[in-house]
Amino acid sequence: MDAPLLMVWVVRLLFLALLYFFLARVVRSLLTDLRAAARQPGASLGRLIVVDSPSGDPEAGRSFDLDAITTLGRDVNNAIVVEDPFASAEHAVLTYRGRGWYVEDLGSTNGTFVNGRAIASVAPLGFGDEVSIGQVRLRLERARSA
Amino acid sequence: MTGASRPAAPRPVELPRILGDIHPRPRWTETRLLLVVAVALVVGSISLGAGLTGRLAPYEPTLLVIYLVTLAGAHVANVLAGRRSDEVLLPVVGLLGGISLLLMQRLPQDLVTIDVAGSTLGLGAVQLIWLVLAIIVATTLGIVVRSDSWLRQYKYTWAAAGIALLLLTFVFGTDVAGQRLSLRIGPFAGQPSELLKVILVVFLAGYLSENRSLLIEQDTRIGPIRLPPLPYLAPMVAMWAIALLIVVVQRDLGAALLFFAVFLALVYAATGRISLVVIGAILFFAGSALMANIFPHVRDRIDIWLDPFADPLGSGYQVVQSLLAFARGGLIGVGLGEGLPTVGGRPPIPEVHTDFPLAALGEELGLVGVIAILGLFFVVIERGLRIGAAAADDFRAILATGLALVVGVQAFIIAAGNLKVLPLTGVTLPFVSYGGSSLLVNAIVVGLLLALSDRGVEPPPPPSGVRRWRDRLRPRRAR
Amino acid sequence: MLVTGTRKRPLGRTIVHVAVVLALAFGVLAGAGGYWAVVRSSDLSQSPYDPAVIAASRRVPRGDIIDRDGNVLTHNEKDANGELYRSYSGDEISHVVGYASPRYGRVGLELAYDAELSGLAGDPLADALRKFGTNPYDPKDLHLSMSWDLQRASVSALGSHRGAVVMLDPRNGEVLALASTPTYDASAITNPATADRAFQSLRDDAAQPLLPRATLGRYVPGSVFKIVTAIAGLGSRAITPDTTYKEQPPAEKDGLLVEGFRIRDGHHPQTGDALLDLTSATEVSCNIWYALTGLETGGEQLVAYADRLGFGSSIPFDLPTAPSQVTNESGSAPGGFVDDVELANAAYGQGETFVTPFQMALVASTIANGGDLMKPRIVTSISGRNGSRQIGPSPMAHVLAPNDAAAINRAMVRAVEGPLGRQFTTGAKVPGVTTAGKSGTAELGGRGEPHSWFIGFAPAESPTVAIAVLVEQAGRGAEVAAPIAGRLLAKALETQR
Repeated sequence: MDAPLLMVWVVRLLFLALLYFFLARVVRSLLTDLRAAARQPGASLGRLIVVDSPSGDPEAGRSFDLDAITTLGRDVNNAIVVEDPFASAEHAVLTYRGRGWYVEDLGSTNGTFVNGRAIASVAPLGFGDEVSIGQVRLRLERARSA
Repeated sequence: MTGASRPAAPRPVELPRILGDIHPRPRWTETRLLLVVAVALVVGSISLGAGLTGRLAPYEPTLLVIYLVTLAGAHVANVLAGRRSDEVLLPVVGLLGGISLLLMQRLPQDLVTIDVAGSTLGLGAVQLIWLVLAIIVATTLGIVVRSDSWLRQYKYTWAAAGIALLLLTFVFGTDVAGQRLSLRIGPFAGQPSELLKVILVVFLAGYLSENRSLLIEQDTRIGPIRLPPLPYLAPMVAMWAIALLIVVVQRDLGAALLFFAVFLALVYAATGRISLVVIGAILFFAGSALMANIFPHVRDRIDIWLDPFADPLGSGYQVVQSLLAFARGGLIGVGLGEGLPTVGGRPPIPEVHTDFPLAALGEELGLVGVIAILGLFFVVIERGLRIGAAAADDFRAILATGLALVVGVQAFIIAAGNLKVLPLTGVTLPFVSYGGSSLLVNAIVVGLLLALSDRGVEPPPPPSGVRRWRDRLRPRRAR
Repeated sequence: MLVTGTRKRPLGRTIVHVAVVLALAFGVLAGAGGYWAVVRSSDLSQSPYDPAVIAASRRVPRGDIIDRDGNVLTHNEKDANGELYRSYSGDEISHVVGYASPRYGRVGLELAYDAELSGLAGDPLADALRKFGTNPYDPKDLHLSMSWDLQRASVSALGSHRGAVVMLDPRNGEVLALASTPTYDASAITNPATADRAFQSLRDDAAQPLLPRATLGRYVPGSVFKIVTAIAGLGSRAITPDTTYKEQPPAEKDGLLVEGFRIRDGHHPQTGDALLDLTSATEVSCNIWYALTGLETGGEQLVAYADRLGFGSSIPFDLPTAPSQVTNESGSAPGGFVDDVELANAAYGQGETFVTPFQMALVASTIANGGDLMKPRIVTSISGRNGSRQIGPSPMAHVLAPNDAAAINRAMVRAVEGPLGRQFTTGAKVPGVTTAGKSGTAELGGRGEPHSWFIGFAPAESPTVAIAVLVEQAGRGAEVAAPIAGRLLAKALETQR
């Protein structure tokens, strides 16, 4: 094999290598994105476990995966329908903002409680906290690693 | 993106706003990736020069310089605009376009010629013009589009426009190689089915996001099969009919396959109902089988696909030559500019610049190069789907997914045709094939994805904003 | 109980499903790319439709084909446009070497070893390295076991007859001569100046000069097939060399009645009422004894032993061969015979039995080599820039026990040299050498003169040449084919000495 041809092949293989170098860089930045996304909304952010529900709908023990915005109330258009006589049609909303959860009372008749204490309008919610809507008690938990 | 201090709730109607206050934001990932792209393309150009002229120097560097300057300009524009859009898409698509430029420079220049101001531009130069226009379109859309309501609110208008476009092609279209694909308006000729695919995705995103709950929740039982309410199946049947109509009238198997595959994938993504996909696929295959029996051109395509070597000098010629090109390329290829032995002064594969760029690249870059190119396409898909998965609402999620699918499925269909995995159909390889309409439409797709990606990373509105947000999107019914 | 799921699932999961499906689809593409670019690469890169191959055939000289004595049989010449074309040393080799013409394709060894001769074939490593070399093509030379001298002698011995001669070395399967007549001038087909006219007239010739009769011609074998029957009978233990049939002498008067069909014989004046065994029945070529042996052996064993010899499918060889058959398997009796009549007729080479001369040479070769059939081959080595590759002897089948082969060998010697054999088979004897053989006269059912056959080998004690001679419609085998075989065996033994 003569030297000029060798050089040509070095250039050709270098081009192919650069294509893969580029792909590797892209994959690296995608993985960085992925890790960032795991800390950000979009994936499963948490879940709500029904602790107590006298009417049986939702039944106790049931677990709901939460969207960034999850509405609760008696109306069927809510993400979580709470069939309880003391719940309002549109009772409360859970939102994920930045790095934490908030619960907001939507002007319900009987109010929304966090760990037994009534909230004014918006209250931060930690994992393990209990939210009461009417007689139904729900606990916020971390999302199962998925 | 306006300042983080202001609530970023989407306004109901907001027309594209040209740059108001500029907040430049560095995009280091994009910068670094574009530098790699530039180095790779320069090395590729030197490799091409070695193959075509025997000297280790870039081959006709002017075109490449113009292209790289355009990419750099797009990057600067993105930085100045300060949006938090995706930083990977532009470099990936830019690399694909650069490979396209190298390929078009390498092919015989008289495949396409345009006379401009007394001088004649060959294939490479013409493709460069389209590439530059495409980058401008994509970047502009990515910067300027800050609201999706113009897409969201007028979905039936878009659908009507799409159907009108289709009908115009049926009636006024010109036949190219037995396919009625090209629509000529004045001096411009384009392939409307390219634009149609974007319109289809916009319509489906609107339709599916609006009716998603109904499609998921309610059932019509037919024996053991559970289907969504029958009226909601109407668009599905309409899609099926349109796909078959395209096959019959336009003789465009590729577009029909593309439309239907994207449609089924979006229906699945929106509803999670595999039964709809199965039924749709069965309908499509039944329709295709019927077509194959009625229309000889469909039958021929399938016969060629099953055994192109049965008539290697006649009907199977293109596919056989494509496969031979891959075989000559082997693992690492013969080198840019060294492949494609000519037959009577022509490249061995007819329509290599539109239908078989992957075969040409397969010969000159080998399997290693082909897999890299497939990888680049998959990155585009991955970006699009991630933008979809991270989108703040269903419309944007389905829209981004659909846009990614349009590119990905089309790349798959033509690559599969080149490799005898599917029957050969005349769709283009996005970003790589020669052709203005293909490049511009795919640029629109990239531009929309860039715009959507900005919204996608935006956190949801603060609790106090939720009510207003809900009120705007869904007017409260009277209780 | 944990029930996961809200009323409206987020889109994320289904989008992931879509991504997985697309990833699989792209994986399939990469797999297909690997299949065409790597697995099928060297095979497709030799395709005659490949423009690179077409271009190369015009400027890269093909490798030489060289006979066992070192004679170069092929030459590369330039036409008026400076493009290369092939020419060949003589007409006699055309049915072996064939031709390579850009217009009329490739035939013979030029086709079978096209990749090697054109320089496109190579091991994967050489293929990969080829790109880095300045000269990508490495045409290889073929070295044949065939002797041009014997080939010429064979063609001239057949003279103006249509026919075929196959000679091979039974010890190692090397083909020494593979002649078919009439033959043709292959150089006239490859020379662009004469190609069209030459090819037209050859194709239209009623004598079918383009047909390689030795390997692709299928003929009624007549009595030479009795050797196959003897192999099946002894091999399956249905008979011994001493088996006699008491119904044989009386049946010679008005024929042996098999299910209403009479099998007749013509040797009664010489043998009288003598009970014949394997040796004496072979000496006088007794149809009745062989018909009875065939019935004794049974159709299934007859076909099974024939298959061991290569019947029933194409013989693995450098050139294409037509499959030989014992029966066309249209019947339901064992082995595919219609009835015992067909079986009895097949046992002495009539019936629905059709064979190639090449196949019959292998039958002779099997007996000559003590019951072991060596795989026939004509290309013994392939040499190129990077050394050469030998194609050595390899066994094809163990057909028969050595003592059974020896018994048939003795019978075939008697058929050539015995007091009665000399009368039936004249001229096959090689002077001074014990010669074994069997002649055949293949009746064509009233359609003209019978085919004349001879198969045999010499020297019988330790055979070094086996032969099959067929002369189309030339009359009795003993009178035409046998003397040709005798002369050629003598010449072959002379060259080996």
